[in-house]
Amino acid sequence: MASKEIISKVWIEDGCIVCDACETAAPDVFEVLEETCIIRPAALDVEFCKPRSTEIVDAAEECPVDVIKFESTTVEVSDAEAAAVPADAPASDAAPAAPVVAPAKAAPAEAAPPAAASVHASTAGAPDPAIAALLKAATTRGGHAGMLKNADGGMASSGSTRGDARNLPPEARQAKVQAAAKKASADADAGRRAFASSGALMVGWGAFSAGAGLAVGPAFTRFMMPNVMEEPDPRIRIGKLQKYSEMEPGGVNEDYKPQGIWMIRLEDRIAALNIICTHLGCIPNWLVNERKYKCPCHGSGYYQNGVNFEGPTPRPLERFKIYVEDGIVVVDKSKKYNYELGQWDQPSSFLLV
Amino acid sequence: MTQFLASGSGMDGIKHIINVLCEPHWFLILSCVALAVFMVGYRTFTKPPIAAALAGVSTLFFIASCLDPNFFSIVSKGDNVPIVMMMVTLAFVLWIAFRQAAINDERMEKGEPLLEAGADDKVLVWPDLVYIELICLVLLTAFLVVWAIFLRAPLEQPADPNVAPNPAKAPWYFLGLQEMLVYFDPWLAGVVLPGLIVVGLIAVPYLDKNPRGNGYYTFKQRPFAIGTFMFGFGILWIVLIIFGTFLRGPNWNFFGPYEFWDHNKPAALLNVEFHDLFWIQMLGRPLPTEDVAFIPAYIIREIAGIAVLGVYFIAGPIILRAVFFRKLYVQMGFIRFSVMAMLFLVMMLMPIKMALRWTLNLHYIVGITEWFLNV
Repeated sequence: MASKEIISKVWIEDGCIVCDACETAAPDVFEVLEETCIIRPAALDVEFCKPRSTEIVDAAEECPVDVIKFESTTVEVSDAEAAAVPADAPASDAAPAAPVVAPAKAAPAEAAPPAAASVHASTAGAPDPAIAALLKAATTRGGHAGMLKNADGGMASSGSTRGDARNLPPEARQAKVQAAAKKASADADAGRRAFASSGALMVGWGAFSAGAGLAVGPAFTRFMMPNVMEEPDPRIRIGKLQKYSEMEPGGVNEDYKPQGIWMIRLEDRIAALNIICTHLGCIPNWLVNERKYKCPCHGSGYYQNGVNFEGPTPRPLERFKIYVEDGIVVVDKSKKYNYELGQWDQPSSFLLV
Repeated sequence: MTQFLASGSGMDGIKHIINVLCEPHWFLILSCVALAVFMVGYRTFTKPPIAAALAGVSTLFFIASCLDPNFFSIVSKGDNVPIVMMMVTLAFVLWIAFRQAAINDERMEKGEPLLEAGADDKVLVWPDLVYIELICLVLLTAFLVVWAIFLRAPLEQPADPNVAPNPAKAPWYFLGLQEMLVYFDPWLAGVVLPGLIVVGLIAVPYLDKNPRGNGYYTFKQRPFAIGTFMFGFGILWIVLIIFGTFLRGPNWNFFGPYEFWDHNKPAALLNVEFHDLFWIQMLGRPLPTEDVAFIPAYIIREIAGIAVLGVYFIAGPIILRAVFFRKLYVQMGFIRFSVMAMLFLVMMLMPIKMALRWTLNLHYIVGITEWFLNV
């Protein structure tokens, strides 16, 4: 003879966090829905629960919020008998062994009725203890939110509220709960729907990835290409040397201003000035009468040779590289010479005339 | 001036005087004086009859000025009309605030309840707010339609990277910043100083924990706070916008309001460098070009400017604390006062530098072009 714990009743209290632990431990007994966990309709039968007692105890222990409650009886049975306990065993054995409520947290109010309910069940043959427990749980707020929602939805037209279920005759209550349980079993479809929605999710992410790939792919390809700036040739041919050497010293030739160059004639040389203001990049104007370049944006002023003398600009205009090729003057805008760095003395920054 | 008085009528003489008074240094001084006078006599100036008289005189002056073709051509330019409107609205808003402050201050002196006392500010969104919004929406739409019909958008020729309009002006709300760019290095005037304006405004609630003036209008209890704000906003923002809009002409030269925008106006603006003043004029030696030990030559060249700025920012807070703000220092504590004093000194650097440029043509106090540090 061995001592064995037999589950006579199992129910779930408020506060399920839908963690799936119970369903993993006892898949035949518990079903985790979207909002809460329920006892599978089949497991409402005492006979169904008995052989799964160990699983249920494990599930109750594993439940992180301890909402799985069960009522058990410890019986002295032989190992062989353990599998075939008669149906009335819990009810009859309850008297000598006294129901053990585990875990101890179960409220006394809830602990008391089951014994009576099970007696009632065996005598009247009406709702069995599991149904009674389910009923109790169903009529307390939140215990089986998913089921109750469905049940309420069905009852809404008759103006019934959740609390009214208590006032119904037992048969009606049983019918209501059974309808709710049926509805819950229909939620088995939810798994299939979840699979379908995950399929839609996969399609969506696939489309997104493909789109992102299409957008990034060409950019990546371009990135892997040689790094070349597609700009016009910085070398600008600006005509014969004679044209500039014949200018008066102090003269400014604005013919190539659209290309960004002022050609200036100094005492013994010609040079190419960058027209961009060194303050903030506006384009100054050459004022012939005042003999200065004057910027219209912040008032920077430069002498004819490009040296700044008024306004906010901190440094002179830049000069470009200049050389003669086949008698034609070429200005190379890619090479600049800055006065403050002493680069205006470099031979490639001017042409002696 | 004598030339004008000799050749023209009395009206020309008046115009010329106004033109001279609108030279930037006079304009700045007069604006500050006007602001100071207004804040000292705010109880008198905000009295409805006096305020109305002032508004009437200003309007008459404006209308009379519009008879001058040069003035009218500037004021009626599509870009500039909103700024005229801004000046009017600003005056109105200032009047409302200072009027209520004047009433409250008077009541506080007599021990009477404030304007705001017992006022129940709670209104309903519907209908109170939504009705007002609807009315505003309709009126503003009508106003914008009329404006769009009568004032043409100032469209210009297609953009050309090699041609800048003369003068090239920023949007009106940025004209104050554009004016700042004339006096400091671009990254300072365009990034650091505007950033400090924003940071300083964010810091105000943490610096100023004085609860007086919360929820009611007053000037008497907060003269320094309101005065500083009025200076920073009214002078250093609004007046600079007015400079940029009405007084800056071709080649970014200053022009009086009745002056013709002459593209060839002679302007003697030859820059004076602070290091030239120090080394050549004061010490009578050439600019240093040799590095000393690990100190580069340009630091030695700018040593005087660096010293001046150092004294300004180090001695400045100490002097402020010892002379002007003894009580404030006790109220604010060391850290708050230091931050406040630095922000205040940075703000005051602006008009100081502007005045130096206008009067002495001082280019930069510290001009380290090698580091793009030009203050």
